[in-house]
Amino acid sequence: MILARQKILLALLNNINMRIFFVFLLMFGMAAAGYPTQVAHAPALPKTELQADSSKIVVRSFNNAELNVYRKDKAFIYDRDQTQDEGFWSRFWNWLWRVIRSWFGDVKPGVPQTNYFWFVKYIVMAVLAGLVVFILVKVMGLDLKIFARKSKAIEVPYVESMDNIHEINFEEEIEKAIAAGNYRLAVRLFYLHTLKKLNDQQLIDWQPEKTNQDYVTELAASEKQEPFKQLTLQFEYVWYGEFFIDKQNFTAIKGLFDQFNLKRP
Amino acid sequence: MDSEIFNQRTDLSELNAAVQQIRENLGQIIVGQQETIDFLIAGLLADGHILLEGVPGVAKTLSAKLVAKSIDASYSRVQFTPDLMPSDVLGTSIFDPRSASFEYRKGPIFGHIVLVDEINRAPAKTQSALFEVMEERQITVDGHTYLMDEPFMVLATQNPIEQEGTYRLPEAQLDRFLFKIEIKYPSLEEETQILMNQHQRKLEDELKAVKAVLSIQQIKTCRALIKALHVEPKLIEYVARITHETRNNKSLYLGASPRASLAIVNSAKAVAAMQGRDFVTPEDIIKVATPVLAHRIMLTPDKEMEGLTTADVVAQIIQKIEIPR
Repeated sequence: MILARQKILLALLNNINMRIFFVFLLMFGMAAAGYPTQVAHAPALPKTELQADSSKIVVRSFNNAELNVYRKDKAFIYDRDQTQDEGFWSRFWNWLWRVIRSWFGDVKPGVPQTNYFWFVKYIVMAVLAGLVVFILVKVMGLDLKIFARKSKAIEVPYVESMDNIHEINFEEEIEKAIAAGNYRLAVRLFYLHTLKKLNDQQLIDWQPEKTNQDYVTELAASEKQEPFKQLTLQFEYVWYGEFFIDKQNFTAIKGLFDQFNLKRP
Repeated sequence: MDSEIFNQRTDLSELNAAVQQIRENLGQIIVGQQETIDFLIAGLLADGHILLEGVPGVAKTLSAKLVAKSIDASYSRVQFTPDLMPSDVLGTSIFDPRSASFEYRKGPIFGHIVLVDEINRAPAKTQSALFEVMEERQITVDGHTYLMDEPFMVLATQNPIEQEGTYRLPEAQLDRFLFKIEIKYPSLEEETQILMNQHQRKLEDELKAVKAVLSIQQIKTCRALIKALHVEPKLIEYVARITHETRNNKSLYLGASPRASLAIVNSAKAVAAMQGRDFVTPEDIIKVATPVLAHRIMLTPDKEMEGLTTADVVAQIIQKIEIPR
């Protein structure tokens, strides 16, 4: 009999559905055992009477004076437009724009400004801004060359010319030099005279700072270039080289100068 | 061009032949850059040191090496690096245990032609080692003074200061260079020619083809001749005016020193001699003024920001001074 019951129980346990049911039942039972069972009643509290609130009530109201102080404080003004008195600067600009608008016959308040006026307005603003920058630059002594072409211009005047070829009486000075036997000076005067003539003929542009080679180059388009190169060479030997020059040499050099000056430009 | 009226006072034929030989020597390898070659020769004849400046790859070092190879003299090279010490250049005393004494080992500065490559990659400490030797042709180490053999010439190369990893050379050192020659990029035609030459030469070592054409004695003779050349007093005054103007020019923060005036006169003499003249003309002075002065003067900061260069200022100064005539 007992054996038969055990077999039945085993058969039940072997059934998978029954196993799950058994586990579920076991868990439910354990959970239920965790809660205390409230079976005891709470003890009755002693009865007390509530007292009426007899404290004095003071009705408070907002102090308008203090509120006004806050209202006037800019820090608390969030959503209202601030109206300011027109300052001198604004009055100046408004006056200026009114004057400019009056030039266009457009001074009625409330009348929309024309596009043309707006264009003029920006031009005027740009000119004024430029003027302010210019004054600042000049006051600060900056040499930014904003309004001038950027050039590598000479900043100091020429060293005073030792000889202005346009003021020398060459014939007279050459005669004096030859008479004094100063042939070196005579050759120099011949050369300067030649430069003056070439300048007068607009074959060269005489400038004190130009070298002899510059003048040779300027004569590139002229038949005179080659003979002038020879004259320059003789002058340089005599003047820079300080070669001794006697009457014979001088006569030869003078001949070259005379021959050169006879040539047509 | 010789004068048919005047006989030459000084025989410059040997000098001119030597100059022509060096030109040809350098011309075999270097395409174009005729002005650079002429200034290198002028610097050699005027007993000056030369600074070559240019971006990498424009044959600065090659030019310097070719000049050195054209002269039958000792040649040494120092590669300036950021960690180079003065003793690496000048030499140092080493203890000899056998003799129980210090023995001085000469540095690479001892040579007739010294190539200092990338000179502005070493800091000022190392640069200062060159001050004495460049000016006085001697060095003093451990209380002993060692004289350099004549001729002594420093050929230095550098990249522009704007390039990465470079230092600005001290003013005192820049003043010791006779010329600073700026080497520009070659023209299109020149660059084509460079490529053609290199292509045809294949792997041949081009430097091996260069022979020495000038002996030490010839250099000494040429230098003596050049020193004796004639300079008219008004031209000396002209040089002084140019240098003086650099000290009063509004665009300049630092003007040129009297050493610069001397450098102009000496190098103008060399240029005159190279053209077969035994006297200096204003053109000679103007030709050397920029390479002599441009590296010795400093622009004011505002002019520098405007983009002006020292060469521009030198040109302005020359333009405003009347040529003595």
